Amino acid sequence: MCIGTIKGCEKKLIMSFLSLVVKNPFRNKTRSALAIVGISIGIIVIVALGMVTGGLENSTQSTLKAGAAEITVIQTGSSSFGSGGSLNESLASSLLNISGVKDTTGILRATNTSTTVSATTTNSSAGGFGAEGGVSITGIDASKLSLIGIDTVNGTEFTNTSTNQVIMGTTIAQSLNKTVGDTIDLYGKNFTITGTYETGNFITDAGIMMPLSTLQNLTNNPNKISDVLVKVTDNANVTTVSQSIENAYPNQLSTTTAADEANRINQGLSFINTASWAISLLAIFIGAVGVINTMIMSVYERTREIGVLKAVGWRDRRILGMILGESIVLTLLAFVIGTIVAVVGVELILTLSPSVGGIIKPSFAYDIFLRAFVVAFLVGVIGGLYPAYRASRLSPTEALRYE
Amino acid sequence: MNNENIIEIKGLKKSYDNGKIKALNGMDLEVKKGEFISIMGPSGSGKSSLLNMIGALDRADEGSIKVAGIDLMKTKKLYEFRSKEIGFVFQMHNLIPNLSVLENVQIPMFETKTSSKDMKKRALELLKAVNLEDKINQKPTKLSGGERQRVAIARALVNHPSIILADEPTGSLDSKTGEVILNLLKDLHSKENVTLVMVTHEPYVGQMAERIVTVLDGKCQNIIQPPKQDN
Repeated sequence: MCIGTIKGCEKKLIMSFLSLVVKNPFRNKTRSALAIVGISIGIIVIVALGMVTGGLENSTQSTLKAGAAEITVIQTGSSSFGSGGSLNESLASSLLNISGVKDTTGILRATNTSTTVSATTTNSSAGGFGAEGGVSITGIDASKLSLIGIDTVNGTEFTNTSTNQVIMGTTIAQSLNKTVGDTIDLYGKNFTITGTYETGNFITDAGIMMPLSTLQNLTNNPNKISDVLVKVTDNANVTTVSQSIENAYPNQLSTTTAADEANRINQGLSFINTASWAISLLAIFIGAVGVINTMIMSVYERTREIGVLKAVGWRDRRILGMILGESIVLTLLAFVIGTIVAVVGVELILTLSPSVGGIIKPSFAYDIFLRAFVVAFLVGVIGGLYPAYRASRLSPTEALRYE
Repeated sequence: MNNENIIEIKGLKKSYDNGKIKALNGMDLEVKKGEFISIMGPSGSGKSSLLNMIGALDRADEGSIKVAGIDLMKTKKLYEFRSKEIGFVFQMHNLIPNLSVLENVQIPMFETKTSSKDMKKRALELLKAVNLEDKINQKPTKLSGGERQRVAIARALVNHPSIILADEPTGSLDSKTGEVILNLLKDLHSKENVTLVMVTHEPYVGQMAERIVTVLDGKCQNIIQPPKQDN
């Protein structure tokens, strides 16, 4: 410890303008802390909403993944995510005859609402997919998994002839605390998890895949499918092929392209983004008013001191820089605190709430943090500019007379 | 300008409040380089205004004022003049409370392009000269009134100024401490070879100077040569 002696205090003794700028804001700790809290709230909103919407955007991008089917064909009038079989299984091969279609596969979607999936977790919280919970199960040909976006499986794929094998998305696997080799109770029957997969699409990753025939038997939908996934040839136009399918089966089949789906989700995300910006701006505005107030008060209280600095030869520009710097120190500290709180908070919420965590994989893209940093910096500059200008324009004699 | 004069003031006028208050009303004054003068006079006579003009804290309305060879009526960079030529010692030490003693002394050097190492060296040298080398890391709030004023004196001398302007430097101190501070000022004035201009209203303090300048109604009334004191 350095107790006022010259020797041994070398590091502590060196003073710079920067250290003065960093020290000054904390002369009135309570006031500075309140200003920091105000700005931090804005930063928390920007970072947290950025991480969440960024995560959802990433998931949307995954629906456009190369190799996966570009078109989903359903019966006209039914939901694209609806359960149960309404189409004949033979439709998948019939669609191969349409120009531009490279590959097809029929899938059957079902929701298992049994409550015996896990001892600790009910199906209603599993994966977060399916209205009011329930595990989303898809029956599909093992050789056509790439069409649904599953390129690699950790473990092994199920065999099409098996009646007790499934593969599971990583999100639901984590949520149910299951791993390869574990069993899961579906429709009152034990299934072995032969593998897990991760596509990046939060819907797919929150589901379970099993052989099509097995699911058809379990749900009493023999030879029935709910959707046909269509992969187009390399040079074909997705919209044209999609239109050709609808034209070939008028009033019977409807099509949805992955791009349409992504656009729909993006529209929703765009709304969330706009809302988050509006909330952020409001929070930032309140924070900026707090910073201006803090800095003006600080300049008032230090009027005499500013007079002394002018008397000892400090130029106006240096005084302006000092006050502006102090304001930026406050907001950058708010950036650091706000970012930490946002990251920890989002992770905590997603961990404590598996139903939400199953859907959202937060994004840590640098631009989210950069945006928050720029906002914090600008608030510091804007909030500090007027008080700094005021301080720099003070008359030395008047400042020195200030009581 | 006489080469020996560091301050030359002729017919200096300064008024405030739209001319209602005439702080300086044709002030004439010459101070030789290395001289120690006291400026005395009643409240409102113009002592502090004169000091502010010499220290370039304010500009006069009329007349001429040359300090250290610089025409203060014309020069634009008053901050540069203050930084290089002037050291202020105020009645209320005016130290920055959240900075250490050493940091307070270093403050004026920020405008002088001095390296951190040299800043520290010079500040330590002066703190040693004012016998505060054992308190360099203390905050001013932990110091006595006399110690604070010693820090202020070190701060005033740190940029090797030509002139020290002291405005009632003992005004807030008891007589014993005041005497210590005056002796220190006088001692450093001769050691550092600086001109010392001190405003005071206390006759015994004024007596310590080589000349006493009496100011009344914004004018220099008379100049007295006090009898030599035995040290």
